[in-house]
Amino acid sequence: MTTLTLDNISLSYGSRQALRDVSLVVPSGSLVAILGPSGCGKTSLLMALAGLVAIDGGTITVGSRELSSAHHRIPPEQRGIGWVPQEASLFPHLSVGDNIGFSLPKGRRRTERVEELAGLIGLRGYAERSPGQLSGGQAQRVALARALAPAPDVLLLDEPFGALDTVLRHTLSRDVARILREQETTAILVTHDREEALDLADFVAVMDNGRIVQVGTPLEIYESPATPWVASFVGDTVELEGVWKDDALNCQQCGSKDFCGPAENRLGCTGHVVCALGDVAATSQGAEPRNGDTVRVVVRPEWLVPSPSGIAAQVHSVSYAGHDALVDFQLEGHPERVRARIAAPFLPSVGQDFHLALRHPALVFPVDEPEGALA
Amino acid sequence: MPTTTPTHAPARSARASAVGHPPAWLVTLAVLAVVTVSIPLVYLGVRASGVPSSAWGEIFLRPLVGELVWNTIGLSVAVSATAIAMGTLIATIVTRLRIGAARTWLLISALPLAVPSYLASYGWLVLAPGISGFVPSWALLSAVTIPYVTLPVAAALRGTSADGEAVARTLGLGPAQAFWRVTWPQVRPAAIAGGLLVFLYTLSDFGLVAMLRFQTLTWGVQQAYSASFDRSQAAVLAMLLVVIAVVVVAAERGARGSLRRTTAIHSTKEPLSPSARVLLSLIVALPPVVGVVVPLIGLGIRLGEATTLRTFDPENLLQATTTTIGVSLAAALLALLLALPLAALAARHQRTWISTLEGAGYLSNGLPGIVVGLSLVFFSLSVVPSLYQTVVVLVFAYAVLFMPKALGTARASIEGVPADLISVARTLGASRFEAWRRVTVPLALPGLGIGALLVAIATMKELPATLLLRPLGSSTLATELWSRTAAGEFGAAAPYAAVLVLIAAIPAMILSGVRSVAKEEM
Repeated sequence: MTTLTLDNISLSYGSRQALRDVSLVVPSGSLVAILGPSGCGKTSLLMALAGLVAIDGGTITVGSRELSSAHHRIPPEQRGIGWVPQEASLFPHLSVGDNIGFSLPKGRRRTERVEELAGLIGLRGYAERSPGQLSGGQAQRVALARALAPAPDVLLLDEPFGALDTVLRHTLSRDVARILREQETTAILVTHDREEALDLADFVAVMDNGRIVQVGTPLEIYESPATPWVASFVGDTVELEGVWKDDALNCQQCGSKDFCGPAENRLGCTGHVVCALGDVAATSQGAEPRNGDTVRVVVRPEWLVPSPSGIAAQVHSVSYAGHDALVDFQLEGHPERVRARIAAPFLPSVGQDFHLALRHPALVFPVDEPEGALA
Repeated sequence: MPTTTPTHAPARSARASAVGHPPAWLVTLAVLAVVTVSIPLVYLGVRASGVPSSAWGEIFLRPLVGELVWNTIGLSVAVSATAIAMGTLIATIVTRLRIGAARTWLLISALPLAVPSYLASYGWLVLAPGISGFVPSWALLSAVTIPYVTLPVAAALRGTSADGEAVARTLGLGPAQAFWRVTWPQVRPAAIAGGLLVFLYTLSDFGLVAMLRFQTLTWGVQQAYSASFDRSQAAVLAMLLVVIAVVVVAAERGARGSLRRTTAIHSTKEPLSPSARVLLSLIVALPPVVGVVVPLIGLGIRLGEATTLRTFDPENLLQATTTTIGVSLAAALLALLLALPLAALAARHQRTWISTLEGAGYLSNGLPGIVVGLSLVFFSLSVVPSLYQTVVVLVFAYAVLFMPKALGTARASIEGVPADLISVARTLGASRFEAWRRVTVPLALPGLGIGALLVAIATMKELPATLLLRPLGSSTLATELWSRTAAGEFGAAAPYAAVLVLIAAIPAMILSGVRSVAKEEM
């Protein structure tokens, strides 16, 4: 078992607190993405995991082995935690083969293992090259093979695709995720790219200001964010003001009933809100509002769909992206505008009249929730 | 309006200091190294504190002392300012402009390193016997010391991208302004570290100023020691030198800034007009001509004379050469070993007490050789008499004297190894020591080699400490040269001078040929 458990770890550099009571469980063999803006403590977390910095409190455990606590730290070389740094950081004085085999004792076994890993990353025959002769993507693959060579219990990937161009990043990140799954490696991927996190990871942990704000499957994080900040950090949002009503609309009364998915896929409606979009089914996130409370209503642009029976609106502007477009609508009879993601190719033009309906329960948050909220 | 270039936000500032607390063994070794090189200073303190306070006042009130201090500071400031300006200029010309045969020029500009200061003045005096005083001392010392700035700055320039300057030009800055605002901040650490070496070199120089009759503190110390009944005064004057060195080292701490490295991208260089090329070549050639060519002509004239050929003793020359090479290599190795823990500590851990420790490591460079020599005579006689006047104490003296030369380059080259590489090695199962051996050392090796060569060159040229500490009956090229010159046998001195130039020139050439950044640039 290589389940990685972080229990209430904290870390500070002088007076600056980088990690505050971070707890996280990474199940054996899974890939967990740590998603957060720059400076949120992602890198500090990785360095604490790798044993490169000492933590001030809490414990880090792999299986039943405690790696770090406030009083004790197993040195990096004995932790069985591999690390793929941001910019490959290949040893410039060693060949590709020697980079991959850095952790292995010299001999025939090493040559074989290096061959095997080179094949795994699709770079067979590159062993004699120097790191300077590799492209960015190749270097990153070598860094991955190098980290996998000693068969670590846990692998840390620190924004490994950040320096690559979009196309390469996409193919490489999928390749890497596949390799990790094949190797059944427990892995943590640190990234600030939400699509990368949602696409690759089994679980996503969203970090802000040294804390983990929410942990969940990519679907949970995106569809049921714990705070408005998480909602807007992991995807586009539309925000409105509304009034909370305790009584859940039954599906037959719901304005969205024609669009809503099958019942088993629904995240559940705990009530409804009265807002510019009409009376819409809603789920409250976090705090439970009282009947009649003013609340923040958050929906995603793709939850708004064209519907002849929906509310009336006029197209204000169109931001075209090829496969779809983000369209701003001026709601009729309301000062608010909403943004909807309309699939290509039948896109409305500016000024056109339109009808919209919501096909997913709206998310409801308390109005006084501070920005960048604490979990 | 000029636009300020945004500096990359240190989003990962955690990383630099991430290595955690320095390991106890490293701190122990570094402290031992500092204690070792502090022995002469401690002895000096003991001597100076033995001087009655009434005598202190008496010494300070002598009008000569004020003049010595004034001359010393004036000369040191003038020479190091000249070296920083000229060295940076020459390094820029050689690395950034299309001067042609850049590597050859860099080699040539390193040549003055091979010439002992007293040899340069000897060569000039042969041709122009009348020269003396501040101006010739300043000009000759500058010519000899400029490479101490040129080489590290050239290495720093090769390690930084020229693109920044190009970007600055597109933002409306003139060439000089672009250099000043973009490139200079990047090479400043190297230039100032080199300038510090030059300052301390000038502060400790004895041979040249003595020959050119410009009275500095080292000269004063030498005079006082020769008049052996009054060693207190010598100790007090030497103490003054130490104080000046301490102040300068402290100031350098503040002025240097930290070394940052970017990947070098060699952008195309603009072609130069023929007249500009001639002018720039003349600038680059100036120090080697003043510091090497003219003295060598003087030497050559002496060498060709009949009296020289008559007194030539090949066996003695061979013996002196072997001794010189042997002790130089031993001293280089020992100095590097002493410098390594301190350099590693200073390069990887930013703490106040560590910079203080590092500063202490530089102090012996400010001590005149005569002070180190005599204090080690005292030390060996009272602590390890069996080693008195053996090669062990001699090599030790050299290592103490020249460890600072290895320290600067060793620190910079270790700093140049990205901390991430060490962290990666650690997560791959390498212990601290293994990561050091398999990653840091191979990557820092060119820089460490440069440090060792700087020590070897300095050792070959060293005179006053050698005179005091050499084992009975053996001699080096420098002592042979000096004793013959002192006896007025200028001709007999010439072969030793010639061999000294030859064997010191070889490491100097290797030095400028080594690329400071190894494989990643090739």
